Amino acid sequence: MSAGACFHCALPIDRANEYQVEIDGELKSVCCPGCKAVAELIRDTGMSSYYAMREAPPPGAGRPPDDAAEWAIYDRDDMLAAFSEADDGHAEATIYAGGMYCAACSWLIQTTLAKVPGVSAADVNPVTHRVRVRWKPDDVGLGGILATLADLGYDPQPLAPDSAAQPEIAEQRAALKRLLVASLGMMQVMMFAVGLYAGDFQGMEENMQRFLRVVSFVVTTPVVFYSARPFFAGAWRGIVSRMPGMDLPVSIAISAAFVGSIYAMLTGGPAVWFDSVVMFVFFLTLGRFLEMRARHRSIDRSTALSTVLPNTVTRIEGGEQQIVPASQLLVGDLLSVRPGESIPADGILVEGATTVDEALLTGEAEPRSKATGDRLVAGSVNLDGAIRMRVEQTGSDTTLGTISRMSERARYARPAFVQLADRIASYIVIAILLVAVGVAGAWYVAAPERAFVITLSVLVVTCPCALALATPAAFAAAGTRLSELHLLVTNGNAIEALARATRVLFDKTGTLTVGTPAIVSTEVFDASLDETQCLELAAALETVSTHPIANAFTLREKRHVAKDQRVAVGAGVAGTIDGRRWRLGRLDFVAGDCSAVRHDEDTTNVYLGTDGRVVARFDLDDALRPDAAATLQQLRQLGLTLALVSGDNPKPVRRVAASLGIADDHAGCTPEDKLEIIRAAQRSGEVVVMVGDGINDAPVLAGADASVAPVHGALLAQTSADVVLLGDSLSPVATAIVLARRTMKIVKQNLIWAIVYNATALPLAALGYVPPWAAAIGMSASSLIVVLNALRLTRFGAP
Amino acid sequence: MNILYLLIPLALILLGVAVWAFFWAVGSGQFDDLDTPAVRVIMDDDEKPPENSET
Repeated sequence: MSAGACFHCALPIDRANEYQVEIDGELKSVCCPGCKAVAELIRDTGMSSYYAMREAPPPGAGRPPDDAAEWAIYDRDDMLAAFSEADDGHAEATIYAGGMYCAACSWLIQTTLAKVPGVSAADVNPVTHRVRVRWKPDDVGLGGILATLADLGYDPQPLAPDSAAQPEIAEQRAALKRLLVASLGMMQVMMFAVGLYAGDFQGMEENMQRFLRVVSFVVTTPVVFYSARPFFAGAWRGIVSRMPGMDLPVSIAISAAFVGSIYAMLTGGPAVWFDSVVMFVFFLTLGRFLEMRARHRSIDRSTALSTVLPNTVTRIEGGEQQIVPASQLLVGDLLSVRPGESIPADGILVEGATTVDEALLTGEAEPRSKATGDRLVAGSVNLDGAIRMRVEQTGSDTTLGTISRMSERARYARPAFVQLADRIASYIVIAILLVAVGVAGAWYVAAPERAFVITLSVLVVTCPCALALATPAAFAAAGTRLSELHLLVTNGNAIEALARATRVLFDKTGTLTVGTPAIVSTEVFDASLDETQCLELAAALETVSTHPIANAFTLREKRHVAKDQRVAVGAGVAGTIDGRRWRLGRLDFVAGDCSAVRHDEDTTNVYLGTDGRVVARFDLDDALRPDAAATLQQLRQLGLTLALVSGDNPKPVRRVAASLGIADDHAGCTPEDKLEIIRAAQRSGEVVVMVGDGINDAPVLAGADASVAPVHGALLAQTSADVVLLGDSLSPVATAIVLARRTMKIVKQNLIWAIVYNATALPLAALGYVPPWAAAIGMSASSLIVVLNALRLTRFGAP
Repeated sequence: MNILYLLIPLALILLGVAVWAFFWAVGSGQFDDLDTPAVRVIMDDDEKPPENSET
């Protein structure tokens, strides 16, 4: 975070517009009144430690607090019934809180909600981003609870009771139970094993030896039949589908050692291997558990679409406006959409004119004007005109729904990425099994009475614990370190794909650029005014506009107050300041006479004028992210080919490509085009990383070998991406690739170690020279070395 | 050493109780959030808002 970043939302602070807030006795700088208000709310409820604990600011943090009136609709009885369940005077609802990423967020939400009068319980789960609230509807409405969440900077979305099921929770609970049974079982059996090994040296009563073996068997049985069940199930699925994976050799090793030990126990054989069985199962279960935790940190797919669309719509029935939940929309409904609202469904504009922002859907930065009869697309934002529309498609039939389905398909069509470690490990395990069979055959001929025992000692001494741990341990360590570096990994495979990447594709709007227009230069044509005065006049005029351009004119200190403001849709705003009528907007709106003023084609031009005379011109442009150039330079130094794919017009795309030195640029791409560009590169053997933020990027993010989406973009893009960039900077992309390469180096070291160990131990065991205690020590030591090596990744980049 | 014939089965029974208790705790949702409890102890619920100073 640079010195000029807002304490609350981490956006850069404009020195002229600085606000201050006192936290823990220190004055902190924030960027806007909204951040000041939220920071004060958090301070005044005594929760300043949130700032010390959070991993990244919530994506909505830069927004001013929402108007409580917007949420008041949820206080109505029909909304309460749609989103909550009632029992003895209490209501319970599940709310999806977008923007929750770390433990500090969940703590902040839980503690803040608990202080709302009427709320009796609030459970927050940062894994599923869900808040379960129980409250007395007489004291506070659902709307009040949602408004509280929105004020904290999160994006609340009440979930209908039937969509609130949480399969992740069920999976995590089952995995935890299996892990506990395996770990307790391992501890117990190892304890008995120490006794048995000691008995081998010092001698032991035969009864006591048999007793310890039986006890070990009793404890091992649930570990094999309960904790290891997923491996057997996976092996069986592999056999049925004729595509055996790692689970098959693992299952054979577990069952062989278990059955062999039972045989030795019953016949009084020289050794049992229950300790190896439980240890093997424990390490494998631990690896799976860590993998599952990384997977669950991804964003809930089911809610990704609905957060783009409004929760409520204004339907016109018999001339009367009625606010209804968006889920009740039907084809043919007549809707009223006010400026600033998003379009809830695909349809036709029937009354009014406006401009809409389709940037998230098409990547086009310039808003488009729409007149009666034009098509409107769900998920785009109505910028400046009040309109009425007729619904033609709802839900999954809309363009938005189509893109979302396309990204699902692209995810499945992704080139099969078999992990290096899985490939090597399954070869080694198969080799071990073949050798074991060979050894069994040889000893059966030479000395039949020792054959079984030696075969099992081969299997035990070469126990692939280190192999099984080599990848998950390194990936888990890398994932931990990446989240400290503001990168959230939601798909473990992405690390290997990032390490092997040869080409990085960037989206333009919102990814390489900031995504909102800002003033880049001002030219004043009137000698009696200076730049600042023009800007102040423009800021006063723009206060009524909901157009994104208006944000570029926001000033802290208001010098002027405009009266009689009027918005001309798609043209500009007019207003009276100190008795004079001013106009701000397009050239033909501000002045009839255009010839006198120079026109700059490359940027968006906004003109200020009075009495038909142009006074000043503001050039607006979607500025590059401050660290874009540096990040791209770093990526080039890593030997990666860079390309730009955008849905925007050729001109701005070429300009951005040129200023960043990207030779390969594609403009005007639909989501299909982008996907085709990636597929073509993949067919020629390249490993492609995509970085993008829009809904139109979602299919290509899902189809790329690895993908990165910034947290400020569309939720659908984030659910399609493997890595989510927390925070506002691009440079973690380069860091991620460096760390991924380092991770793969560690994985390779681990695998080489495991192979060397197995190659040394195998012949010794096959010849019958390895006693049980040596096998156990060797196996544990090799696993320990692998884990310690992986842990080196958690210090990556630290001083 | 004969005491082991009593102590080990006793330990196994205690183990069974521990597993049962853990399963109950998992089932009642106590382990659904594995991230927050780790940092909760260092977050103070009772921080007083700063007294409104006139400076």
